[in-house]
Amino acid sequence: MTGNVIVTHQLRMRFGRHVVLDGLDLQVPRGSIYALIGSSGAGKSTTLQILMNLLRGYQGSASVLGVECSHLSASGYARIGYVAEGQEMPDTMTAGEYLAHWRPFYPGWDVARERELLDLFRLPLDRKLKHLSRGMRMKIALASSLAYRPELILLDEPFSGLDPLVRDEFTEALLAHAEETTILISSHDLAEIESFASHVGFLDEGKLQFSEEMASLSRRFREIEVTLEAAFLPPKVPGSWVRTEAGASVVRFVETQWDGERTARAIREIFPQACEVTVRPMPLRSIFVTLAKAARKAA
Amino acid sequence: MCNHTPVIPFRVQFQPGAPLYEQVVYAAKKALLAGQLRPGDPFPSVRAMSTALKINPNTAHKVQQHLLNEGLLEVKPGIGTVVAKRPASSRAAKNELLQEELEQLVVEAKKLGLTLDEVQAALGNHWVRLDGGNGGK
Repeated sequence: MTGNVIVTHQLRMRFGRHVVLDGLDLQVPRGSIYALIGSSGAGKSTTLQILMNLLRGYQGSASVLGVECSHLSASGYARIGYVAEGQEMPDTMTAGEYLAHWRPFYPGWDVARERELLDLFRLPLDRKLKHLSRGMRMKIALASSLAYRPELILLDEPFSGLDPLVRDEFTEALLAHAEETTILISSHDLAEIESFASHVGFLDEGKLQFSEEMASLSRRFREIEVTLEAAFLPPKVPGSWVRTEAGASVVRFVETQWDGERTARAIREIFPQACEVTVRPMPLRSIFVTLAKAARKAA
Repeated sequence: MCNHTPVIPFRVQFQPGAPLYEQVVYAAKKALLAGQLRPGDPFPSVRAMSTALKINPNTAHKVQQHLLNEGLLEVKPGIGTVVAKRPASSRAAKNELLQEELEQLVVEAKKLGLTLDEVQAALGNHWVRLDGGNGGK
């Protein structure tokens, strides 16, 4: 089955007078690893909580796996996994009891997979949850969510406060199951997810400022530097050139629709006197900054 | 069942900008031509590549397809994907893999106004320095 696993349309949510989501249109394609990026307070957790029907009172529409979120019930929950930073857990249970507690709720619970995850995570099953580190608790939460083979898994800032080793194991478990699951992962840090996310969306001021496939982002952005014999700022440049800055004999800009041949031709036309042109691929972080600035400017 | 981490027989230093998929293909080709992966050796599965390199399974799948299409890998029924038998890698093929780095070196050197002799001398120094006891082979 293809299509979108999550669809929100003009989703609005406010807490008192504070508007958190202001017309969010989010589409998460089936099979994707979708990274929802935004600073703290941008509304990422609110979005995920609405999707899980943990927060009521939204306006607009939001659906997961074809069901409107406010109607999500047990049969829906059996197909969705959810792990949130610092989520509440029954502290007096041991890790083993916690897993045993959840097992009967999920018809699809796969004991072999549960064991595989426990092995990978080296989880101490006899220890009480309150005595476990933050990383261990997150790993138990992930193991209990992956064990029933959910079609969709929502992860709310899962890496926050985890040490690099735990983060690595967490990612490994996630990727080992990524072929059969759609993953929506929220994060304030792009670097955490850039190697494995397939799609990325930027949430700011209650809206999705942009949403795109990672591969196309890195393909279409280039930082270009033109060295000239004398200072020259062209009166008009293509609309796809942004962040143009000019120094004494250097013009620098970001081409947002890079295409080797076409861009080279445009540069020759606009700077016939160029003595050198350097084209550099851009790190995702710089691409992001460029897009975020453009979005804010347009707003 | 033992709980081992699959070893990926090549390293990838991810560089910003270039598509991940191309970078992994490049690293795998280098390993193949350098003999770190020999004909008949099993090639990592999509899942093993994905989890070990922390890349999207679709990216890993694309890498595998690309190498299969180029005839560097083959599918052996019952075994999986293995490194294909092939004529000993030619010098030309090995050379090809360095083109990008060489071009970059030349560009940087020209920007700095170095001469070809100076670059060759610098290159020679590094060659000797990294050779250890290998006698320049």
